[in-house]
Amino acid sequence: MKTLGRTILPYLIAIAASFAAAGIFIAAMGFDVGRAYQTILLTSFRTPNGFIQTLLKFIPLTLQALAFTVPLTAGKFNIGGEGQMIVGGIAAAAVGITFSDLPPVILLPLVILAGVIAGAFWGLVPAWLLYRFGLNEILTTVLLNFVSFALIDLVATGPWRDTTAGHPTTIPIGQGGWLPMLVSNPPLHSGIILAVLVAAGIYVYTSRTTGGYELVATGANPRAAEVFGINVKRMFVFSLVLAGALAGLAGSIEVAGVHRRLIEGMQSNFLVLGLIIGLIARGNNLAVPFVAFFIAVLEVGASAMQRTLMIPVEMVFIVEALVLLFVLLSDVVRRR
Amino acid sequence: METLVTFLRLVLLSMVPFVLASQGTMLGGRTGIFNVAQEGIMLLGASLGFLVSYQVGNNFVGMLAAMAAGALFGLLLAYFTTTLKMNQFVIGLSLFFIGVGLSTLLPKLVIGITLSPPLIPTLPEVSIPVLSQIPLLGPILFRQNGLVYFSIFLSLVLWYFLYRTQRGLELRAVGENPMAADSLGINTVRARYWTAIAGGALIGLAGAYLPMVYTGTFTEAMTRGRGWLAIALTFFGGWSPLTILTGSLFFAGVEVLAFRAQVIGLAVPYQYLLMVPYLATILIMILTFRKARVPAFLGQNYDREKRNL
Repeated sequence: MKTLGRTILPYLIAIAASFAAAGIFIAAMGFDVGRAYQTILLTSFRTPNGFIQTLLKFIPLTLQALAFTVPLTAGKFNIGGEGQMIVGGIAAAAVGITFSDLPPVILLPLVILAGVIAGAFWGLVPAWLLYRFGLNEILTTVLLNFVSFALIDLVATGPWRDTTAGHPTTIPIGQGGWLPMLVSNPPLHSGIILAVLVAAGIYVYTSRTTGGYELVATGANPRAAEVFGINVKRMFVFSLVLAGALAGLAGSIEVAGVHRRLIEGMQSNFLVLGLIIGLIARGNNLAVPFVAFFIAVLEVGASAMQRTLMIPVEMVFIVEALVLLFVLLSDVVRRR
Repeated sequence: METLVTFLRLVLLSMVPFVLASQGTMLGGRTGIFNVAQEGIMLLGASLGFLVSYQVGNNFVGMLAAMAAGALFGLLLAYFTTTLKMNQFVIGLSLFFIGVGLSTLLPKLVIGITLSPPLIPTLPEVSIPVLSQIPLLGPILFRQNGLVYFSIFLSLVLWYFLYRTQRGLELRAVGENPMAADSLGINTVRARYWTAIAGGALIGLAGAYLPMVYTGTFTEAMTRGRGWLAIALTFFGGWSPLTILTGSLFFAGVEVLAFRAQVIGLAVPYQYLLMVPYLATILIMILTFRKARVPAFLGQNYDREKRNL
C-alpha cells in the first residue's frame, strides 16, 4: 500500500500542478478556465456517448503507447508506431476487402491477424537493420513512418478507392470482418476487450515470465545481461517486432471496429500521444493503460471544449506537456 | 543545360535546412549531447518564425524568434541531461512532443482558425555583384537567398573552429572523453551547455527557412521528416562540418529529384516518389553507418563524481 501511494502520489501532484499552471496561461489568453476545465474533465463522464468516445480513443492510445514502452523495456526506442499502425490497417483492409464473402468466424480473425502480422513486419525491418547493420532504431522506425504515409495514400486512391468519398478512402471491408458490437448505441466495438487483454498480457509477460525478465534485464544493463547469457541483440529484435505487432493490432482494430474501411489519416495523432503516454508512465507497462485512459479523457474533453466554448483543442496540449514535465522532474526529486 | 542549372540551383536552395539542422546536431553531439528533438524544434521554428514575421512584418525578426525558441529548447535539453543527468533520448523525445504541440497551438492563438492562411513575403534573392554574371556558376552559386550563403559560410567557420583552434580541440575532447577533458581543466558543463544552445538555435533557424522560402505560410507537419533526416545526415557526414555540407547536397538532390519527377509527371504513381527520400536515406545509412565516425561519448551524460564512466 505504501509503495502504491509512493507511485501514485507524484502523479497526482504533477497533474494538479499542471492544471494550475496551464490554468494561469489559459486565463491569460482570455478564456474561462473554470468552464474549460469542467468540459475537459467531465465530458467523458456526463453522457454515455462521451464515455464511449473516451473508450474508443483509449484502445489505439493504449496499444500505441505499449508499442513504445515494450521496446523501451529492452532499452530501445520505437518511434514507428504510426507507420506500423498504418501498415496494419492496410493489411486488415486488404484482407477484409479481398475475402469479403467469408463468414465472420473465418474473416474476422484473418483481418485482425493480417494487421498484427503486417505491423510486426514493419517493426521487423528496423529491427533487422539494427541487428545486421547496427542502424539507430530511432531513425529507421521514424523514417518508415513517412514511407507508410505514401503507402496508405497509394492504397486509398488505388483500385479499392471509394469514389463517392471526397477524402482518400477504400470501399468497406466484408461484414464478416466487422468486430462485434458490445453496445450498439452509442456504438462500442469489442476491440476494447482485445486491448485490455493485450495490455494485461504484456504486463504479465514482462513482470512474471522468464522471457519478460530477460527483456527487462537487457534494458537495465545490456552488458550484464550479455554476460549472463542473454542474447541481447535478439531481445532488441524481438521487442521491436512485438511493438510492431501491437501497433499493427491498433490498425486492424481501427479498420475492423471503427471505420470498417481504410481511411487516409486514420492514425490521427496517436503516435505523439502514444509517446507522451509512454513517457508519463515512465516506460512502466502496468501504468500505460491508466495513463492512456487519462489522456483519452483529456482529448475527448478538449474536442468538446473546442465545439462548445470555441477554445482551440490544442490548449489541452499544454496540460499534457506540463504533466510530462512535472513527472520527469519528480523523478529527479525522488533520486535526491 | 538550362534544366541542369535550374536543378543545381534548387539543390543549393533546398540544402539549407539540412545543413543548418545537421550542423546544429553536430555541434551538440561534439560535446556528447545527442539531440533527437530536431523535428519538433524545426516545426516550432517554422511556426514561430512565420508568426513573428507576419506580426512584425520583418522576416529577419522572425528568424531571430525561431532561433531564440530553438536556443531555449537547447538550454532545456542541456539542463535536463547535463545538470539533472536524465536520459537524453527521453528528454529529446519530450521536447519533440512539446515542439510539435506548440507549433500547431501558436497559430490558433495568434491568427485563429481561418480558411486561407495569411502569407509572408519569401526571402529575396541576393545577387553577388560580378560573380553572379559568370555563366552557369553564377546563377547556381551567386543568385540565392541570404541563408544559402550563410549556411555555407557557417559550415566553413565551424570546420575552422573545430579543427584549427585550441577551443575547438577542447570541445571535441569533451565529446570523446569528458573525464580526460575534465582532468585538463576544460569546463565540460559549460561546453555542453553552449553547444546545445547554439545547436538548438541553428535547428530553429532551419525550421524558419521552410515558410520563409518554400511556402510563405506555416502548415501542420510541414517539415515532413527533415528533422529526422538531418540526424541521418549528421551520421552520414561523420559529425564533421565539411562532410555534412557535401552530404547535404545529396539529401537535397534526392528531395529535388523526387519533387521534379512529380512535376514532370513520370509514369510511376507519385506516392512511390514520395517514399524515395526516406528509403534513400535508409540505404545510405546501411552503406555508410559502419564507417561513420561518431563522438565516443555521444548520448551519454558525464558525472564527474562517478569513478568510472
